[in-house]
Amino acid sequence: MEGSEYFMDDPKDSVSGGSPYEGAVVKDLSVYVPEARRKPGELGITAITFLLGAFGYYFALDMTSGEYSSPSVFPKLASTVIMVCSAVNFLKAIRRERPDASSPSVAQYLLPMDVVVVLSLLVAYCVALPYFRFIGSSYAFMVAGMIYLQRGKHIVRALLISAASLAVLVAVFRYLFLVILP
Amino acid sequence: MEQNIQYFLIPFLHWEMMLLIWVGVFAGIWVGAIPGLSVTMAASLLISFTFSWDLNNALALICGVFVGGVYGGSITAILLNIPGAPAAIATGIEGYPLAQLGEAGKAIGLCTTVSVFASFVGILVLAVAAPIVANFSLKFSPRDFFLLAVMGLLLIGSIGGGDPIKGITAGAIGVLLSMVGMDPSTGELRYTFGNIYLMAGISFVTAMIGLFGVSEALTQFRNAGKSSPKQNLDKIIPSWATFIKYLPLSIRSSLLGVFIGALPGTGGDVAALLAYDQAKRSVRNPSRPFGTGAYEGIVAPETANKGAIGGAFIPMLTLGIPGDAVTAIIIGALYIHGLKPGPMLMIETPHLFWMIVSCLSIASIALMVLGLLSVKPFSKIIEIPKSIIMPVVIILSVIGTYAIQNSVVDIFYMIGFGIIGYFMRLYGYATGPMVLGLILGPMLDANYRRAMQGAENQLIPFLQGFVSSPISLVLTLSIAFLLFSQTKTYRRWRGIS
Repeated sequence: MEGSEYFMDDPKDSVSGGSPYEGAVVKDLSVYVPEARRKPGELGITAITFLLGAFGYYFALDMTSGEYSSPSVFPKLASTVIMVCSAVNFLKAIRRERPDASSPSVAQYLLPMDVVVVLSLLVAYCVALPYFRFIGSSYAFMVAGMIYLQRGKHIVRALLISAASLAVLVAVFRYLFLVILP
Repeated sequence: MEQNIQYFLIPFLHWEMMLLIWVGVFAGIWVGAIPGLSVTMAASLLISFTFSWDLNNALALICGVFVGGVYGGSITAILLNIPGAPAAIATGIEGYPLAQLGEAGKAIGLCTTVSVFASFVGILVLAVAAPIVANFSLKFSPRDFFLLAVMGLLLIGSIGGGDPIKGITAGAIGVLLSMVGMDPSTGELRYTFGNIYLMAGISFVTAMIGLFGVSEALTQFRNAGKSSPKQNLDKIIPSWATFIKYLPLSIRSSLLGVFIGALPGTGGDVAALLAYDQAKRSVRNPSRPFGTGAYEGIVAPETANKGAIGGAFIPMLTLGIPGDAVTAIIIGALYIHGLKPGPMLMIETPHLFWMIVSCLSIASIALMVLGLLSVKPFSKIIEIPKSIIMPVVIILSVIGTYAIQNSVVDIFYMIGFGIIGYFMRLYGYATGPMVLGLILGPMLDANYRRAMQGAENQLIPFLQGFVSSPISLVLTLSIAFLLFSQTKTYRRWRGIS
């Protein structure tokens, strides 16, 4: 469910389309990709999963084998299933129509600006964690994230909410639940 | 009998025990609600600072946390589609669409009510039939656990989204990733590529937080223009008629949960997923189509994972074998206090058995009160704008991931899984099967190999075992039935849409 319901614009494509529960479908507002067509990069993703299966099988050949209870049995089995299913997914995808000319490019489809910014902030947060410790880097991440997502508005509110949230998190986790923070 | 009643009444007569149970349930609800902070972790922390306490008080607190924690995991699953624990994965499948419809309060209210009912079913079985269930659960061989794991993998059909082949692909990738690390039976390294961080394997909780939590946050950023749904909190306690309507399903799923919980090595997560699948196959006219907010899809997993609590105590108290990770920690607590868990525990210290039954009963009552009181504040979380809640959710995910084994590397894994999960969602690959594969992969691998070694690596004796043992035969037939029930012929015959 969760995979498909977010990216449907045509109610006919929706699992609950036409039913009284149409509100359950969350529409993606950033891109429009009709279900009848391939999604940008869909063939690529099946190729990647196939390669994953192939690598899985290749490296399983190095494991002890020869008996039905060898450590390599399940790695080989899982890899084979991945390769077979990926081939089926590829064939199913290739039978569908190409994405039309107005579709976004693969990069635009996968990574709209908001996602790119949040992912960059997340990576920067992880890199900063050992240097600025948990409180400093988390505060910076929350403030930057909130300000960006509110499109530069409510800066003071973002500063205050981030400080309050962090104070609660530290008090609860560090001092109440005795959890070690990063 | 009279003596047993006296033992049962101990916590009722000691106000500090009563207070500790309530405090435990309250803390458990919040710990359980945070992805990564597990009941197991909370229980192990409690051991460290309660070892100087009186044993009764320590057990009262741990029982409270256990009951509250299993419940808390479902709240974030319903509100944010981020399960607080693996046992709540199935709840989120139906719970989150309900929250999107503005029915989060009703969903959590129903979840609370049936949870309390199921806790009592588990406690009742524990009190009445513990030795029988425990002895039966010990008859399970590695082959039977293997079959149970195969049964679990069939759930991919239920949680795999619209495309079963994509679901199987994701599940197989989960199984493959679960093979990473040191093989527990031979010590051989698999897919570690000389990297010491990979030797311990990939924690499925880390993967779960990334695949559900971070990928959900990233997906939400694509829909930044969409406002949060207003929640209807007028009627959160389900009517008596509603409760009665779901009673047969609740009883079935609770008993399934008790039994799965009583099996050593399996717990609420497997129980909840099996119960969800069973409900999806057996309920003819759900309140809404499954996957779009069917209340039956909340009742089944919630009753199963609460029933599993009582179930987990059965082998622990009767045989000294833990039913799950939390009861394993409680066994540790009993050792610390000079007791020897095992078959003699109930004979030498019967008061302990009845006191635990009593503590779990009080904790269930506390859950009813505290759970229903927390519905409104929890439901308000979903109305907070995404631009504010999502950065906080990401920080919570970081805290939860780091807490698993205090490793920054796990945070990178979590983010990696988050990105993978986000791409998977974009292309219609559900993330649930991958987590299922990660959870069940080690169970499949270890038990298949043990069973095969038991058959001296001969294929024919291995296959004969599936029909020569009564338990294996029942499980094999159940799997055959599960496969048959997915066919159009069966669905047409049963009138299931």
